[in-house]
Amino acid sequence: MKINLTINGDPRELECRPDESLRQILRREGYFSVRFGAETGETGADAILLDGRLVASEIMLGVQADGHVVETVEGLSPGRGLHPIQEAFVTVGAIQSGYSTPAMVLAAKALLDENPDPTEGEVREALTGVLDRETGYLRPVEAILRAAAVLRGEKVDPLESTLVRPLADFDGTADLDSDEPPLDLPPAALRVVPSPEVPDTHVVGKPEVKVDALKLVKGNPAFVDDMEMRGMLHAKVLWSPHAHARIVRIDDSKARALPGVRAVLHHENVPRVRYASGGQSYPNPLPHDQVSFDNKVRYVGDRVAVVAAETIETAEAAVRLIEVEYEVLPAVFDENEAMEDGAPVIHDEPDMEGAYDAVRNIVHHIEADVGDVETGFAEADRVFEQTLRVHQVQQVPIEPHIAIAWLDGDERLVVRTSTQVPFHVRRMLAPLVGMPVRKIRIVKPRIGGGFGVKQEMLIEDIVGHLALVTGRPVRLELTRHEEFVSSRTRHPQTITMKTGVNNDGMLVAQQMTTIGNTGAYGTHGLTVQMVSGLRGLSSYNCPNKRFDCHVVYTNIPVPGAYRGYGAPQALFALEAHMEDVAAGLGMDVLEFKRMNWTKVGDPLDVAAELGEGAAEMKFIPVVTSSGMEECVAQGQRAIGWHRRTDPEWRFPSDRPHIRRGIGFAMCMHGSAISGLDMGGASIKINDDGSFNLLFGATDLGTGADTILAQIAAEVLGTPVEDIVVYAADTDMTPFDVGAYASSTTYVSGMAVKKAAEEVARQISERAALMLDMGSPGDISLRDRRAWAPDGRSVSLAEVALHSLHQDQQHQIMATASYVAPDSPPPYAAQFAEVEVDIGTGQVTVLSLVMAVDCGVPINPVTSAGQVEGGMIQALGYGHCEEMVYDDGGRMVNARLGPYKIYRSDEVPRIEAYLVQTMEKSGPFGAKAIAEIPKDGVAPAVRNAIANATGARINNLPFTPERVWAALNATE
Amino acid sequence: MDIDRPRSLDETLAAAGEYPDATLLAGGTDVMVEVNFRTRQVRRVISLRGVADLSEWNGTRIGAGVTYRRMELGPIPALAQLARTVGSPQIRSVGTLGGNLGTASPAGDTHPFLAACDASIEVRSRDGGTRILSWSEFLTGPKLNALKPGEVITAVVLPEHLPARQEFGKVGVRSAMVISTVSACVMRDEEGRTTVALGAVGPTVLRAARAEEMMSAESHPSAEALAEFSRLVSDEVRPITDHRSTEAYRRHASGVLARRLLERCLAA
Repeated sequence: MKINLTINGDPRELECRPDESLRQILRREGYFSVRFGAETGETGADAILLDGRLVASEIMLGVQADGHVVETVEGLSPGRGLHPIQEAFVTVGAIQSGYSTPAMVLAAKALLDENPDPTEGEVREALTGVLDRETGYLRPVEAILRAAAVLRGEKVDPLESTLVRPLADFDGTADLDSDEPPLDLPPAALRVVPSPEVPDTHVVGKPEVKVDALKLVKGNPAFVDDMEMRGMLHAKVLWSPHAHARIVRIDDSKARALPGVRAVLHHENVPRVRYASGGQSYPNPLPHDQVSFDNKVRYVGDRVAVVAAETIETAEAAVRLIEVEYEVLPAVFDENEAMEDGAPVIHDEPDMEGAYDAVRNIVHHIEADVGDVETGFAEADRVFEQTLRVHQVQQVPIEPHIAIAWLDGDERLVVRTSTQVPFHVRRMLAPLVGMPVRKIRIVKPRIGGGFGVKQEMLIEDIVGHLALVTGRPVRLELTRHEEFVSSRTRHPQTITMKTGVNNDGMLVAQQMTTIGNTGAYGTHGLTVQMVSGLRGLSSYNCPNKRFDCHVVYTNIPVPGAYRGYGAPQALFALEAHMEDVAAGLGMDVLEFKRMNWTKVGDPLDVAAELGEGAAEMKFIPVVTSSGMEECVAQGQRAIGWHRRTDPEWRFPSDRPHIRRGIGFAMCMHGSAISGLDMGGASIKINDDGSFNLLFGATDLGTGADTILAQIAAEVLGTPVEDIVVYAADTDMTPFDVGAYASSTTYVSGMAVKKAAEEVARQISERAALMLDMGSPGDISLRDRRAWAPDGRSVSLAEVALHSLHQDQQHQIMATASYVAPDSPPPYAAQFAEVEVDIGTGQVTVLSLVMAVDCGVPINPVTSAGQVEGGMIQALGYGHCEEMVYDDGGRMVNARLGPYKIYRSDEVPRIEAYLVQTMEKSGPFGAKAIAEIPKDGVAPAVRNAIANATGARINNLPFTPERVWAALNATE
Repeated sequence: MDIDRPRSLDETLAAAGEYPDATLLAGGTDVMVEVNFRTRQVRRVISLRGVADLSEWNGTRIGAGVTYRRMELGPIPALAQLARTVGSPQIRSVGTLGGNLGTASPAGDTHPFLAACDASIEVRSRDGGTRILSWSEFLTGPKLNALKPGEVITAVVLPEHLPARQEFGKVGVRSAMVISTVSACVMRDEEGRTTVALGAVGPTVLRAARAEEMMSAESHPSAEALAEFSRLVSDEVRPITDHRSTEAYRRHASGVLARRLLERCLAA
């Protein structure tokens, strides 16, 4: 049928089916800024303006919009240039992945058209319909307020860092009892605590605009799905309805007979090749316990079969026509029960490879010892022990997994995919599709968030098989429900902490006993749990340590990598336990922790046993930089720590059912996997003195492309705009392990720096030639010129033209790679302020403050964005996110809403402090920052609840009912 | 799928009469979700969007097509309060009063308000004329209502005089709770007559009759009376234990919420 729409001012008559959503129609017409986020429209990525009002195009039929006026971001600034709202989003760093940025911009437009002078609260209210997993909403709100000011004709200031006076002495000690009032800074101020050790730089350390900001804020085609491909087929997967079953019979004849169906694949017609899906370095850790399609299913949501058809609807209809006979087996979901005698054996297949004890569902048994804990416990004055349980959550990138595969003109397999690990995917995909690596190309365009869930070869094999079978391009996009159930999640764990301590507070022995639930498959099961042990047992000094961990199969949806990677679990347990040990000793918690936490020069002894690159580790690493004391001092002042002992504040007299409290957690992470993570980069000069920078590192919204460009620009003496970035395409760029383990700035950044230094050397040689100098040694690069010591200079454009065209022609270019021998830990202090309603058990988090020592932040705005957004994700983990199942292992809340992620109007006050230290092993002093914001929020909130009410809660998340039960138990 | 797009109420009733199995689509915020989840096969849709008659709001007669957005900006305090707690701006722009009754979810956002003020539901059909049903006659069970094939919800009729003191609340709103465990609406008129309706703690919205009776007799409720009110509400709700929450907590939270809303009414 025909409908008439006015789209961005153009009257259009469009043909559509009556059952098509407005989103489908708009995307088909090329309005790629209107994006899929959820079949319910609940992410808001699909939002458009209909007659000036924000509506969900996902749940509106195109027919319902007939005769109405539609606006998308494409219409906001046609041609070149930006609308003031877009300009503000770019300037203040409100964009991370940018997937939902167009929707936010439209929400802002609807608001400002009606209300040119909104309050912050009104802005937050207007953004409630667009869920963001990345920014914590702080900078989008700031951008909208700024745009409003610009549109009212007011002047706005450029974005600059606010330098905050250090509180700690130069030797690193701070007065931790200060009750100095908090600084009065605007919420989005970039709070940088400078270090005198850090040298001056021109581009590094500045809040540069993201190199990909323009395409993201305009909604230009950028993501996997933002392309047209003639003849493309659509794939749909048949997922297991049972938690554990054998496939006795599968009959695909009716599905194949359906007109429009081009392929149906399952275990009977796809070769059985074993693999592990985690995107990790060669050789992938055992067990190799997966095949593309198996004759057994191990969780509700496991793969059974896949269909490729001419339309999504036909593929869905065909999936329903596949007849499967199952022999349903008993299932087990709890990691403790799975190890018991008589528990169902989840991996009983004869070709099972690499599990510790498959009959008892034990995938790995990890042990690591330093000293002798038993002797330590015997010698300690006091021994404390407690068991904690951390639950299962999902990463919830707003862009779900999506991949498109096709055969190019040379009949090589090209996969355009939303992945964090393109190079690992290429290598891992090859044996599954039976092609050599040389015949596969993986392209990573912009991706709409990953947070670890895309450190996985999750669906690339499916589209690869289908493209090879059909010879046609094939697209597979997971729905939100599928993303929850059939992708990856965070490992649940049962953790027992046991600590021997002397009465003076010195740790004598510490033991962490963990049972990690790795679900139906072992992907990331070993290394996530190793990181738990590493973080749990290297944050504090202790002469005797023991880590004992069983990693166990169950029939829950599969855990994998999730930002933090085992550390959030471990640090919840550790920091809750240390809080309670301090209370047990009657000591001030900061004093107790400070006495024991690792400081510069201290050995990270357990790392030698639990590092992923441990086989290569010939020495025990030591802490080379730490701003921990400064972080604590800044955080303490910002949160108002002294109030936690003030009864008038804790028990507000006008609200008798409210209790207030403040909690603290220390955090320590790593910067890359030492001895293993490698990144490569190449740089070449162009005629105008600009440079192409190519690398394999994978920006998933974090700003990695920008930071790496800043590093190159710093070395080459140019502004960032002279660096043209192209990344993460296995045909075009050098190798990189990908985006995980907080490695990109530290490792890939060093590769870029090395390549840039070699290019700078070649430029200097050329400049010396042009300036008739004997030696190039003294030439320096700045302001797009090469300068001789005597003040003469040539421009980089002249250098380029000279070298490319005029004399002794040579392409100035270099390639370099880097693997780090160390993984210097960033440190952070996390504080939380809460209110607990003792009537309902409801916890309201009022403030989160995190002060982070990430070495030198290469870009303070992207660094702050990592901390702000990371804290809100971490708050979801501690407070309200939880995958909930029925007795049959079916997730009952696989949609956004019942699975609750924080909205713009619900987030607490958040403040990030960037505490500089000079980490000499990192590029321009940098350490990592991406994951540490995930580590401290849950324990800090937990400790704040304890401060408020006395209830010490050992299970996540802090739902009202759990808190209410704990309050009743305390009374 | 076929779609009808009537432009008037008569055309709507004619279409519904001709295709009694058709799905009535107002804002679509519930139906389209089911369609997109493929939990509902829709063969024929009657889109109500273009039917201006349904969007009329005259005093106590609120058309079924009135959106949450209009309720939010409207003159009735509790209705505005509940509308503000619904979904997102996108949902509030298109979701309607009639749609919320058509879906008849036990957690329906408007239901506590309608129950607390004893609203009636007006339904019409081509062949059967107009029926007026009380809220309790209309809402018959979880996702069930008294609508007969061919009937269309046309309006909600409120009593002529609504108590000035009326409060709506959810446990969990604006605080990132997992789900709204309970929602409630409390009203109290000048004579002290008190009503309390609770959602999501029974197969349909329910009224706590004993709590109402007890509180309606109190002109100046003491702390003990408030505690008794809370206890009676906890006693009268009919929640279940499921994978999200226990019956015990839901009872407790119902009592706490009802008492707090009553206290707000008393303070007003």
